[in-house]
Amino acid sequence: MSISPSDDRVAATYYDGRTAAGRVVMLSVSSSDLLLHSETEELRWPLREVHISERLGSTPRLLTYAGGGHCEVGDHAGLERLLDHAGISKGWLDKLQHSLSWALAAMVLIVVAFFAAYRYLLPWGAEVLAMRMPGVVLQQMGSSTLETLDKFALQPSRLDSARQQELRDAFARLKPLPDVQLQYNIIFRSSPGMGANAFALPDGTIVLLDELAELTQDDSEIVAVLAHERGHVERRHAMRMVLQSSAVGLMLAWYVGDVSSLLATAPAIIMQAKYSRDMEREADEYAERTMQFNGLSPCLLASMLDKLEAAHLAARKDAGKLADAGKRDEMTDYLSSHPATQERAASLCPAK
Amino acid sequence: MQEQFAQNKQHFEFTGKGWEYFRIWIVNLLLTILTLGIYSAWAKVRRLQYFYRNTRLAGASFDYHGTPIAILKGRFIAFGLLLLYNVTLKFNPILGLAIGLLLALVMPWLLMRSLRFKLYNSSYRGLRFGFAGQTRGAYRAFLLYPLIAALTAYLLAPLAHQRIKQYQFDNSRFGNAAFKFNGTVKGFYLIYLSAFAVLVGAVLLAFALARMASPQDMAGSIVIGVLIVGVALLVVSGLFSAYMQNLVWGNTVLGEHRFFSQVSARRLLWVRVSNFAGIMLTLGLFTPFAAIRMLRLQLESMGVESSGDMSGFIADQQQQATAAGEETAEMFDVDISF
Repeated sequence: MSISPSDDRVAATYYDGRTAAGRVVMLSVSSSDLLLHSETEELRWPLREVHISERLGSTPRLLTYAGGGHCEVGDHAGLERLLDHAGISKGWLDKLQHSLSWALAAMVLIVVAFFAAYRYLLPWGAEVLAMRMPGVVLQQMGSSTLETLDKFALQPSRLDSARQQELRDAFARLKPLPDVQLQYNIIFRSSPGMGANAFALPDGTIVLLDELAELTQDDSEIVAVLAHERGHVERRHAMRMVLQSSAVGLMLAWYVGDVSSLLATAPAIIMQAKYSRDMEREADEYAERTMQFNGLSPCLLASMLDKLEAAHLAARKDAGKLADAGKRDEMTDYLSSHPATQERAASLCPAK
Repeated sequence: MQEQFAQNKQHFEFTGKGWEYFRIWIVNLLLTILTLGIYSAWAKVRRLQYFYRNTRLAGASFDYHGTPIAILKGRFIAFGLLLLYNVTLKFNPILGLAIGLLLALVMPWLLMRSLRFKLYNSSYRGLRFGFAGQTRGAYRAFLLYPLIAALTAYLLAPLAHQRIKQYQFDNSRFGNAAFKFNGTVKGFYLIYLSAFAVLVGAVLLAFALARMASPQDMAGSIVIGVLIVGVALLVVSGLFSAYMQNLVWGNTVLGEHRFFSQVSARRLLWVRVSNFAGIMLTLGLFTPFAAIRMLRLQLESMGVESSGDMSGFIADQQQQATAAGEETAEMFDVDISF
């Protein structure tokens, strides 16, 4: 079939916008005008005042005139020819939406985008937000987390108040780095389930477990661990973890379409979360600088790390004999996400 | 007589195709992700335009005219409100509840705006739809009646549902012709009661099985009981959607044109279950196909019976003259579905 000049006419249905009655018209282009020919009349629309709808699959395309009225065109090929003649080209989005290879590329790109967002954008965004989080929010999150932990995981401390005060004083003697932002407060608890451990809440509360305090005779080693925990707080690690998990939860909720499951509770996240290797390294460095600032050796933290690992390995061995081994294993997993302890100790204390 | 009726019976046609929509959908999804959600407003316009333009009645298609910027504004507002509510609820429950209450208070107004936006931006044969519902009616339909339903232990829920549909349809128009909703409260009660009866039957059956089972088989009979109730819920949800669509559209009139709807509950249930399975098995890639299948079923079982001509409508003069409807409708859109 050859394309003769008469093929430059395209059939369309014209609606005037005032009544629902459609009229069959033939469309053609003359210089910069769109012409609508019908049996009774001829309409002339300046092309620049005509909005041409983009292609959407095989749906009819609409030519809408700013002065009122529109044409519905079902003949895609004919309209393309007409538009080619008029020098109107397709947009990039138009091409994207109608090519199978782009659809496949889009699928791959979506996966890449998700991965990149999860790996890079999320931690960055969480850090930016966490560092600007107002104190009230940190306080609320700290106290609600402690409440939950006290209810489910922690027991009162067995240390007498004199011993508690001794450790508090030792920590108070540790001068904070000049750029310190928060007030610190140590509280004492015990937890056979969690073993030797200490953890920092977002508001600057550091929970020191008896099991850790009993691990060493040297209080400055405990102070070294507390300095490490202070690094976690100053760098807002807990807050960042909460924000990251919430963002993931939000995405999932959006995808599944259920908004009621929004904002998983912070206590659960803090309890389950393991800091990333980068976060541990950051806290180690912070502790190292604090120790040096106070004229203390970072090797104190290194030796404490060794003791902690030994204690947890022993606990895990014991746990292995118990029936509910899996459960205990999870609870005593404190060191699993820490970079290999020896590596960390070596970086803190190269001389050893 | 019968013949003449049949001649004027026009079915909706839906010409959307899964593969075609898949390409639009996947590009929409990619651009939405790359723009951190901003593009979703443009994506919505494209999606609705694809659906509307593929919906045909008496040889002409529908069209959607919403502007992405208006939709984006509405999304920002909705997202901001939701975030405010969730964050305050987390850190100050009392303030959070107060904000939640405030949200509930503005919800009817937002719903009214959303209806106005949706209808004003829909057209058929070059004529716009419109929504003339007022704030008073919105509060009655979307707040007062649901509240009454809740206070009566949902005994009056079917009544509330009927009132909401009445408010929606009786305030809608096409060109200068008004929609009229004739669905009776009785009709709503019949659907709710039969759904309730099937569920109660399923629960009783599950209990009866559990009682007959010997103590050793307790675990097994509990599993079977849960399965029975689960299947009953699924079946009831399919029946409910189908009968509700048939009731609502079967009792809607536009001028001298009467709508009809005969969607089969069995087919609706099948499409729903197979769609769910497809989406799960393809990690979501089946979503666009699922949307097309459901729309085809729902639309093609509907139509219009008319004694007059479908092209007999004329534009609403008032709407044309003031154009105020356009301005207020264009301000923002709120995505709230019913």
